[in-house]
Amino acid sequence: MGIDPSIGPDQARALFRTELAEVRDRAALQALRTRWIGRHNSWIAAFMDALKTATPEQKKALGKGANELKKEVEAALDEKSAQLAATRRPANAVDITLPGRVPQIGYRHPLSLVRDEVIEIFTRLGYQVLEGPELEDDYHNFEALNMPPDHPARDMQDTLYLESALTYSDRPLTLLRTHTSAMQIRHMEKNSPPVRLVAIGPVYRKDNLDLTHTPMFHQVEGLVVGRRITLADLKGTLSAMAAALFGSATIRFRPSFFPYTEPSAEVDIQCFKCKGAGCQLCKRSGWIEILGSGMVHPAVFEAVGYDAGEVTGFAFGMGVERVAQLKWGVGDIRLFYENDLRFLEQFGS
Amino acid sequence: MKVPLSWVREFVDVKASAEEIGTLMGVRGLPLEGLTAHGDDLVMDFEVHANRPDLLSMVGVAREIGCAYRLRFPPPKGGGYIPEGWNPDQAIPITIEEPELCGRYVGATADVTVGPSPQWMQDRLLACGIRPISNIVDITNYVMLELGQPMHAFDLDKMIDGKVIVRRAKRGETMTTLDGKKRTLTPDMLVIADARNAEDIGGVMGGASSEITAATKRVVFEAAYFAPSHIRQTSKALGLKTEASTRFERGMDRTAPPRAMMRALELLQRTGAGRPTGHITDVYPRPHQPKTVKLERARISGLLGMDVPDSEIDRVLASLGFATAPHEFATAPHKGVPYLEITPPPWRVDINRQVDVIEELGRHYGFEHLPTTFPGVEQAPPPSDPRIARDRKIRTALLAMGFSESITFAFIEHAAAEPFLAGQKPIAIANPLSEKFAVMRPSLLPGLIDAVSHNRRHGLAAVRLFEIGTRFSPSGESRAAGFAWTGLATPDHWGGARRAVDFADIKGVIEQICAMTLGTAKGVPCDFTEVETPYLVSGRAAMLRVKDRAIGVFGQLSPAIAEARELPADEVYVGEIDLDALTAASPVETLRTSPLPRYPSVVRDVSILVADTLSAATVRGTIRSAAPDTLLQVREFDRYQGKGVPDGNVSLSFRLTFQSPERTLTDEEVQAGMDAIIAALIREHQAVQR
Repeated sequence: MGIDPSIGPDQARALFRTELAEVRDRAALQALRTRWIGRHNSWIAAFMDALKTATPEQKKALGKGANELKKEVEAALDEKSAQLAATRRPANAVDITLPGRVPQIGYRHPLSLVRDEVIEIFTRLGYQVLEGPELEDDYHNFEALNMPPDHPARDMQDTLYLESALTYSDRPLTLLRTHTSAMQIRHMEKNSPPVRLVAIGPVYRKDNLDLTHTPMFHQVEGLVVGRRITLADLKGTLSAMAAALFGSATIRFRPSFFPYTEPSAEVDIQCFKCKGAGCQLCKRSGWIEILGSGMVHPAVFEAVGYDAGEVTGFAFGMGVERVAQLKWGVGDIRLFYENDLRFLEQFGS
Repeated sequence: MKVPLSWVREFVDVKASAEEIGTLMGVRGLPLEGLTAHGDDLVMDFEVHANRPDLLSMVGVAREIGCAYRLRFPPPKGGGYIPEGWNPDQAIPITIEEPELCGRYVGATADVTVGPSPQWMQDRLLACGIRPISNIVDITNYVMLELGQPMHAFDLDKMIDGKVIVRRAKRGETMTTLDGKKRTLTPDMLVIADARNAEDIGGVMGGASSEITAATKRVVFEAAYFAPSHIRQTSKALGLKTEASTRFERGMDRTAPPRAMMRALELLQRTGAGRPTGHITDVYPRPHQPKTVKLERARISGLLGMDVPDSEIDRVLASLGFATAPHEFATAPHKGVPYLEITPPPWRVDINRQVDVIEELGRHYGFEHLPTTFPGVEQAPPPSDPRIARDRKIRTALLAMGFSESITFAFIEHAAAEPFLAGQKPIAIANPLSEKFAVMRPSLLPGLIDAVSHNRRHGLAAVRLFEIGTRFSPSGESRAAGFAWTGLATPDHWGGARRAVDFADIKGVIEQICAMTLGTAKGVPCDFTEVETPYLVSGRAAMLRVKDRAIGVFGQLSPAIAEARELPADEVYVGEIDLDALTAASPVETLRTSPLPRYPSVVRDVSILVADTLSAATVRGTIRSAAPDTLLQVREFDRYQGKGVPDGNVSLSFRLTFQSPERTLTDEEVQAGMDAIIAALIREHQAVQR
């Protein structure tokens, strides 16, 4: 349908603007273009035809107005066209806001993450990583570690015993290993110095389940034996480990007692949360205890046939659960053994 | 060990506050565990290490504090000094029948008036956690706390014939101890007896019949030395741990009994509790043998990695009561090398070797002086346990297949282990924490099943868990990977249907692990056979064998077990792979790559109707044996029963891929192969081609 050319450019302009505002797609835009500035039957064509019969003055005034309007309409149509192009969606478009099909991937266990981290650190420092048997004989678990029968230190680790001894090993297996230190002995019996190892795995003690104890837990054991191994070397090694695990390389040694090391020391790291100022995590002391360590006792070297006059060594043992608890703020150690997926998923894959 | 600050200050003039003392002693080997107020006094609770019985006394703690604070510690006399006025007349009839078990016995008699002890003494005992009983008993406890030497007092009038005999208990001999319990003794135990009866379990606890009562007029005080291992055995056998037994079993100072006795008698008079009769007997069959330890200065820095200045060596050793004398080695290889001959004081039962002395120097000079160094590398590190890398590979694969990693306890309930024992005896724990931790797991599955159950009961619909860990059997430990899957295999999604896990899902997991470890594509044969096992549903249970080695078992968990472990009714699929067996079956040769095929492959499908009792493996075998060498792969891609398929039959569709490494196969060749295959299927299985 044509537009009455007699309305003149000004009214026509207002009408065009109204019609343009209603355009939603390209088809409507094309129709609008034809209707207003098409070669035939458009407003501009009709208007130009009408001008042919007008006076020269009218022609001059209206003709100029019509040309301006034509240019304006063309520009407005192009602009609208660009706008529509920007919002155009192809017919096979998807709703990209719908959730994707997420491939299922399993979550890592935090104890396994700590274990891998420790293995990584010590592999970097040139250690070999070993695992050993979990059922042990009295000799490897106690006696060779300077804890003869009736030694008071045996009380320090309440042991779980087997109802009847197993005979598949060289000595009757009677107990669940109380520490990975048993591995030290097994390794040194078969290998001469130097030694540079970490042993890692589950250990067992008769501890009731509570916030900080489980009857099974995991230990990392380190042992270095050589010609000039010192307590200062232990300090360097442990501060490197503390830096990698906790981001705190400041450690301190507190003299302690273990039958298989002399001197013995418990090791604290400077609290990584408050940087030593004192907070709830470190019980206001600025320090957090992380492991036990010391210089290998000469009696242990004698048990494995090493010359205690020739070699020295250091050893340390650290609880994996304790590291994980500290690192990630796990208040209840029992969570590690519930395997609740809502807990595990927090550690990612 | 509870130590009132006022008491320790009687021996050492330490000005520091209790908190400051606690902080310093913590880095000197005597950590403070607690600090409490007791009246006007502060009570420091120190953790005493098992090798330092000498610190179970005010004097011992004061000596350590004195050394740490560089204070003069009285008494000025050397180790093991004899107190003033020590002059035993040996008038009391004391006999030691077992000198190896009781190396010294000092007895002194006194006339007493039994009543309450003075308030100051009661306060101190209470501060240390000991209940005041009477002036006489309190004196013995006070001396024990102060000097470390346990003491006892007998009512002398109840000792038959006034005799004190240290002997072994007679078989079946009984005695009622001070705690009111009647105890049956054995000849392994040492008693202090009168002419007839056991009156005291030596070094452990006194007897009720000679107990100090309000009516007691005459007492005999005891200060003795008992052999540590003997006291430990007796205490263990009786299940009786006392202040005295705790000290004796760790090792006491043989030179201390005279000092303790003189102190007790002094306190007796000072508090007005009584008057010594002057009779003291000291039976000392096994005198203290001073030990000496050689200390080479070079060994100090050799062990610690720091130098301890000479002045510090002298200071620390003197302060702790060690005697030192400079010497030189007289013989090769150390001839002319100087060393210090160290004589530790008699209360230091922990000092036996050079390293023990070096520890004293290290801790009192201060570990804070240690530099930070690293051990030198003398050789390339040997390889790690190969299981670590293998387990990591399996772990990564299972994680990628959607299984989350779990860690469960290695000990489980007996009933939970039962279906997995395969006729073997369980490895039972003699002293388990509870019935839940009674036997070592024969399989990882019971623990995983409980973990699945925990998750299902906490509202998780789809659970996939695995564990890599140790299994225990009477023939040894083995490493396994167990996995369990229940609920949805494909979750609810707007774009498609959900699907529950089934047998093929769990088999796929096994197949994938085999493919990645064994390289099954390269022709390591995996045989799957049906098995019957108590924990899996019959007809939905399979075993994997590789080269005739049993590698794993998998299938649907028996609903009876699922129900017993409180799992919902959904099907649970489980599997377990023996990783050690898998390693043993794995090819040892290193990987060699094959060139990529240069000629195209041809794919043909065939669908047949056969009896539904026929296994896919049998049909696949027939196809393979009838096919030309160019048959590369056979893959079932459809299995259909229902409309259009007669009852008892199944429609199987196979996709066959042919390829030659040498040339492009012709249609005719492939068709000839297909014809031979179809003919064989008809001949062997009466198959009908669809």
